[in-house]
Amino acid sequence: MKHGALAILPLAAGAAVYGFAFGLLAAQVGFPWWGVTLMSGLVHAGSSQIVAVEQFAGSASVLGAALAGAALNLRYIGIVATLSEILSGLSLRMKLLTIHITGDENWALTMAERAKDPAIGARFLIGSGLVMISVWTVSTTLGAVAGSTLPNLEQFGLGFAFTAAFIAMARGLWRGYANLLPWSASFVTTIAAVSLGTPKAYAIVTGAICGLVISHQLRKRGKTPK
Amino acid sequence: MTISYWLLILVLAIAAFTIRILGLFAGDAIKSSRFNWVLDELPGLIVVSLVASSLAGQPVGTWVAAGVALAVAYFTNHVILTMFLGVTAFGLLLWLGV
Repeated sequence: MKHGALAILPLAAGAAVYGFAFGLLAAQVGFPWWGVTLMSGLVHAGSSQIVAVEQFAGSASVLGAALAGAALNLRYIGIVATLSEILSGLSLRMKLLTIHITGDENWALTMAERAKDPAIGARFLIGSGLVMISVWTVSTTLGAVAGSTLPNLEQFGLGFAFTAAFIAMARGLWRGYANLLPWSASFVTTIAAVSLGTPKAYAIVTGAICGLVISHQLRKRGKTPK
Repeated sequence: MTISYWLLILVLAIAAFTIRILGLFAGDAIKSSRFNWVLDELPGLIVVSLVASSLAGQPVGTWVAAGVALAVAYFTNHVILTMFLGVTAFGLLLWLGV
């Protein structure tokens, strides 16, 4: 467990910076620091939290914000599915705890280390996961404390930080030119929907569905290599 | 913190954990189903739609700052750097009155 906890530290440092930035933004849109602590500990999903908080600040629709955030985390169906062998010896309670503390970073590190050494398993995953969720919770809390003491930073362009974060997330999700047409369709449709006066939450859903339709058509024609 | 904040945290926590549990018990079945591609595609499409919704109807300066952020993201693939340089560009353009 200690091995995993130590090995993850460089990646945890990167997550801490992102966590601090998220906490700061959340505080600026009205979240108290302890609300951020609670959210980070219970949700433990960076991109989901940032999307949910931004949507919530913009629309105050709880369900829409939570669903938009959760959709970003769909990849965890695949991530957790790859852990079945590693988790096989654990009790159900430990399995549930382990999948909650598993994030992108410690999952990727565990899989990479396991490929080199098959003895690496659940203990490594749990050790690194405990560090990740602790670092994430503490760094987002510190960010929120800092954010709540600062004046309203909107005038300095802080509101744009969410947009920039989404752009960075999109870059991370980019899988090549197969994405170009569906993504363009989503972008244009959403812009058009908002311009026509559709509430943003519905415009986003419309845009995403439009992209899915285009992607499906391309797949049917066999134009996507995936 | 009003009840809405509590609800958001609770609903998001339940949704995020449900996704993980789905992965634990049905991950393999979902991955081999014909709808697996939707799981692959949806996150990217939602993020792109989020970017679009925050840019719709905004002044030119915001679009330019988004272009800067996109360029930084493209070349560095680094979240914090993209946020930092994007906000800097946005603040600078705001200050210049663009």
